[in-house]
Amino acid sequence: MTYQVSVFLENRLGRLEKVTALLREAQINIRSIHLNHTANDWGILNLVVSRPELACEKLNASGMSAALREIVVLTMDDKPGGLDVLLKAIAGAGVSFTNAYGRIVNEGGSAFFMVDVQDIPEARSRLAGAGLEIIEDAQVYGS
Amino acid sequence: MYWEQSLETLDRSSLEKLQIERLTNSLQLAVRSSHYGRCPAIGRLLDSGIKSIEQIRDLPFTTKDDLRRDFPWGFLAADKKDVVRLHSSSGTTGNPTVVYHNRHDLDSWANLMARSLYAAGVRETDVFQNICGYGLFTGGLGFQYGIEKLGCLSIPAGAGNSPRQIKLMRDFGTTVAHAIPSYLGRLFDVFKEEDLDPREDTRLHTLVIGAEPHTEEHRRRIEEMFGVRAFNSFGLSEMNGPGVAFECIEQNGLHVWEDAFVVEIIDPDTLEPVPDGEIGELVMTTLDRQAMPVIRFRTRDLTRILPGPCPCGRTHRRLDRISGRSDDMFIIKGCNVFPMQVEGILMKLPEVGDDYRIILQTIEDQDEMIVEVEVKKDWFRGDLTLLDRLQKHITHLIRDEVLVRPLIRLVEPGSIPKAEGKAVRVLDQRRK
Ligand SMILES: [Zn+2]
Repeated sequence: MTYQVSVFLENRLGRLEKVTALLREAQINIRSIHLNHTANDWGILNLVVSRPELACEKLNASGMSAALREIVVLTMDDKPGGLDVLLKAIAGAGVSFTNAYGRIVNEGGSAFFMVDVQDIPEARSRLAGAGLEIIEDAQVYGS
Repeated sequence: MYWEQSLETLDRSSLEKLQIERLTNSLQLAVRSSHYGRCPAIGRLLDSGIKSIEQIRDLPFTTKDDLRRDFPWGFLAADKKDVVRLHSSSGTTGNPTVVYHNRHDLDSWANLMARSLYAAGVRETDVFQNICGYGLFTGGLGFQYGIEKLGCLSIPAGAGNSPRQIKLMRDFGTTVAHAIPSYLGRLFDVFKEEDLDPREDTRLHTLVIGAEPHTEEHRRRIEEMFGVRAFNSFGLSEMNGPGVAFECIEQNGLHVWEDAFVVEIIDPDTLEPVPDGEIGELVMTTLDRQAMPVIRFRTRDLTRILPGPCPCGRTHRRLDRISGRSDDMFIIKGCNVFPMQVEGILMKLPEVGDDYRIILQTIEDQDEMIVEVEVKKDWFRGDLTLLDRLQKHITHLIRDEVLVRPLIRLVEPGSIPKAEGKAVRVLDQRRK
């Protein structure tokens, strides 16, 4: 099971830096970052990191609100049309997601695509059934 | 069950007789002060003799402005050499106010305080931690003397420094503590940070909460967090401080000690009395304070008398919890809004923390009510949809209650600035 760390963030100067500084201090590698802001001055910061449990613990201890949230990570080709192929396959599997973001793994090679869905087990079985490769946590965290 | 059974259960007609007697004494002392010395109505009432306590309505009100105007000595009714203590409230604008006590007054106050705590089930075997600023603020010394009079082991812990508060509780086996409600949420967070659970790791069974108006929901939340019963304490510095009215173990209204105070509830606009059960402004008169009697003080606190007797057997009438202050009310988009209305809604929601703030701002020539709400840590799951839904839900609830559509701003826990003492709930930044 793969987890992202989700952090509640107010849209104020210096909030994001506080997060990155904390993770740096704990020697945690940020592999992907995605900021999901609403128009209401607050939003959620999603992070894929090398050690999610530790990151979550550190962030909560510093007074922030952080939670581990399970995601599905898929792979796609890092070339024109790569994402289009993948999105069509996801739609074909009947899976709809609430949020998604990517990370290039190696230039011109492959990329990870992080998908946030409501029903993880259901989505996993449908995506696997459609022949999509689901990347497991060790590879995503890069440990 | 009672601290002073005969006084606490005195039948109403004897209680009124006692009030008339004490009011007469009080007025005779009051006219020695320069403020009340200028008031002919007092002399007239004394000359004709008081037959019914309702005749108090023949006397003029005393307001906070009066106390400020005649600062510092204008209300002193005793010889300065007999006065042993003063309490003063800082004035953010203009003069502060001051209240003087002689030895009798301090004794009477301590006794009321002990009587109040006893009614809430506190006994001499308890260890009582007073988490409250000492000094000029009446919550520190006011409780201290009462706790000692009752005979508890007192811990005069003072305010703040939560890790030390927790250590004191654990070292000495604190069973009862007194604090303002907005502080207790923060204290609970520190318990959690230290991996402690106040329900398991302390011997607390009772909390006394006061000095800040709060809702029933807020009380229940505090009881749940600490695994205690929480009792509402009401007081105001002009009427000594704490020990004016207090909840008994029934937790249904606060007995106001009518042998020491005359209580009136008036319509703040017409100044006419309202019947028991109806909300109005609380007006109070001291009956047992010699150095500085205060007559018909307009408290600005809104409450009502709860009709009917209390099962505990005390005959002193009960005040409902304070539902707001007549001067807390603000008007936005033509609607009258009390911060307590907003608080009442927020406290019912398990997703949000205890602190909130209302900011009134002019945005693009429109006055807006922004409500900052803290999202609770343990509720947060990283789900934006849930947060969005929460925001809409709060917006609707508040709009339905106060008829103004608020802008809800969800904020990180602990990010609402804490005020010293009473929490600042409303910030008016509107362009005038
Ligand atoms: Zn009672």
